[in-house]
Amino acid sequence: MFRAKRRTVVTLTAVPVALLAGALVVTLTQGNLKASGVTYVNGDTNEIVYAQGHRALAPDFTGTSLTGTPISLASYHGKVVVLNFWGSWCNPCRGEAPTLAVLAEQYGPKGVSFLGDDVGDTPANALAFTRSVGITYPSVNDASYSVVQQFGRVAPLNDTPTTVVIDRTGHIAGLVIGAISYQAMTTILRDAVTT
Amino acid sequence: MTDIRTPRSQGAETDAAASFGDKEAGLIGTSGGDTAGPSATGPAQGWPRWLWRQLTSMRTALVLLFLLALGSGPGSVLPQEGADPGAVQQYFASHPALAPWLNRLGLFNVFAAPWFAAIYLLLFASLVGCVVPRTFRLAGSARTPPPRAPRHLLRLPHSASYPSALPPDAAVGVAASLLGGRRFRLRRAQGGDSGHWVSAEKGYLREAGNLLFHLALLGVLVSIALGGLFGYKADKLLVEGQRFADTPAALDEIHPGRLVSGSDFAPFALTLNSFSASYYTSGQSRGEPSNFQANVTYTASPGAVPASYRIRINDPLSVDSTKVYLIGHGYAPVFQVTTAQGQVVYNEATPFIPANTGTLLSDGVVKVPEGSPSQLGFMGVFVPTAVSVGGSLESAFPAADNPVVSLIAYSCGSCMNSSVPQSVYQLDTTGMQKLTATPHVLFPGQSWSLPGGNGKITFVGIKQWASLAITYDPGQVPALVCGILALGGLLLSFLVRRRRVFVRAEPAAGGGSLVTVGGLARTDASGGFEDEFASLAAELAAADASAAPEPGETKREPNNQSEAGA
Repeated sequence: MFRAKRRTVVTLTAVPVALLAGALVVTLTQGNLKASGVTYVNGDTNEIVYAQGHRALAPDFTGTSLTGTPISLASYHGKVVVLNFWGSWCNPCRGEAPTLAVLAEQYGPKGVSFLGDDVGDTPANALAFTRSVGITYPSVNDASYSVVQQFGRVAPLNDTPTTVVIDRTGHIAGLVIGAISYQAMTTILRDAVTT
Repeated sequence: MTDIRTPRSQGAETDAAASFGDKEAGLIGTSGGDTAGPSATGPAQGWPRWLWRQLTSMRTALVLLFLLALGSGPGSVLPQEGADPGAVQQYFASHPALAPWLNRLGLFNVFAAPWFAAIYLLLFASLVGCVVPRTFRLAGSARTPPPRAPRHLLRLPHSASYPSALPPDAAVGVAASLLGGRRFRLRRAQGGDSGHWVSAEKGYLREAGNLLFHLALLGVLVSIALGGLFGYKADKLLVEGQRFADTPAALDEIHPGRLVSGSDFAPFALTLNSFSASYYTSGQSRGEPSNFQANVTYTASPGAVPASYRIRINDPLSVDSTKVYLIGHGYAPVFQVTTAQGQVVYNEATPFIPANTGTLLSDGVVKVPEGSPSQLGFMGVFVPTAVSVGGSLESAFPAADNPVVSLIAYSCGSCMNSSVPQSVYQLDTTGMQKLTATPHVLFPGQSWSLPGGNGKITFVGIKQWASLAITYDPGQVPALVCGILALGGLLLSFLVRRRRVFVRAEPAAGGGSLVTVGGLARTDASGGFEDEFASLAAELAAADASAAPEPGETKREPNNQSEAGA
């Protein structure tokens, strides 16, 4: 009887041992900041598309542009918005900027608004860059990453640049982590514009 | 691996002490003296079980703990990759024969080495494997009733006897009610048992303490795992006047636990209003810092009421169970670059990194990719208190008493258009040309007209920066609570003695009965049980006498024959 008891004790031990040891092994390798609620991830590029019904509501932020005029996401309601998080200090952001300028020109007439969120930057440096690269849409002066923090609660916004596409109802339709490609953006935009 | 046992000198004691020794796990022992080896059970399941018992033995745990301490040794003696990669390279250069061998053993990155992981994983398994079954056994032992009374109580370490006028059953009843009143746990003779007796046991709190200690020990382990999985550490450099929101993208460097996601970061935002450092201006410690403080305003969540705090060394800001420490500081000269046409293409307080912590002589770079007609880059040295030593600039003091920057200007056509991420503190000068042969020195407010129609750079002024460490460890408080509970449990189990008293009554020849009382204490280190037993035996005799029907019966002293007293 004592033996049988011991066996159950060993079994009962094995479970928490396995759990805790497993937890420790997992801790060994440092964690990534992972996305949740993703319905589709393209492994080749770094785009995430959320299906209808799985889209989080974009936080309704307000701020001022680099030139000092007020900006609020609410004023874009009913339109598809491409929100690009960038900084003039960030090389990948500088690399993707010409593509964004082209996309803004192409999709503007189709009812897509482009908006920048300039992080960790100064207006002087940022405006010098947008002038030279030919970006005409406004950017929020978000040196403190406040808008990023709000979006970070609902989407995996862990790095700069990140580009978020917001659908007509104000929900996040998809995003591209890292520098965008023309291909990735048109895929998400086609979906967002038609729905 | 040895249990603390009561001495087993005689047969009767073996009965009475039985469950003290075997069923109950001591604080120091584990699953008994299992030195028999694997042959005890069948060969198939014998070896794994034997290995498991060896692993979970306290001896193994102690050896592993010692190895862990031994393994950490090289980590503090040799330079480590994680903390100081430069020092590792230096070590390789100065010890070309030895360094590769040390590297093969993982001694330059001890805490990530497989052998180090093996030690602490085994230690973890050993501790858990030792503590969990013990917890079950202790829980069982805290609930067990006292054992049956041994037949010969007079052979116990402490014993006494007295005659009673009562019949055996009643005499035992009187003793039982007295012992029950003293909060002993009782066990009376049942139908199947022979004779008239009562067993009483006290000091179960010892088992409760023991149980608490083990559970709290498990709690400490879980807390540590919790901290590792859900905690994070991050750094942020902030210039005076700048604000940052606590979100992964805003932080310079993050070390998150495995299960941390972006939404786990406390939603605070913090503005560095001002930073001040004061230094000793005289004496032996001249130039050493006397005080640092960062005056900050923070909001615990977006839209919350702002609050102010002064962060100092060892006085972190605590917001939403996240702590913000002040870990470093330096200067951020403000530069403005304008083109020949008067267009501002750069205006920023640019953090320079101290190259000499004693004098805060600092290095930094200014990158102006929008420079026109050429892209511009500057390598700079910031000198807080400039003095000329043999024609070269030196800093005499860490405070900004005579601030100066010395700049070397570079230019290129379009070398800064790479989209590969690059450090903002480094300038890659490949493909760039020096604009002037010698560095240019600027005082605050001064401008330098750059050759080649490249406009001018102005040293506008100086700001300071503070480097902040943001840490969140959800396991910290649970670990502390569990630590205190473990200590409390340990004290309880050391201070409370478990002791047993048996009372047996036999019918006497001339009516009434003869009552024998036996006592046994486990781990009677402080030796108090002898006195307790003597007074208890006297009280039992007195209670018996007062319960007896015949008045005028003289009170009899119990015939105490305590072993220790003999």
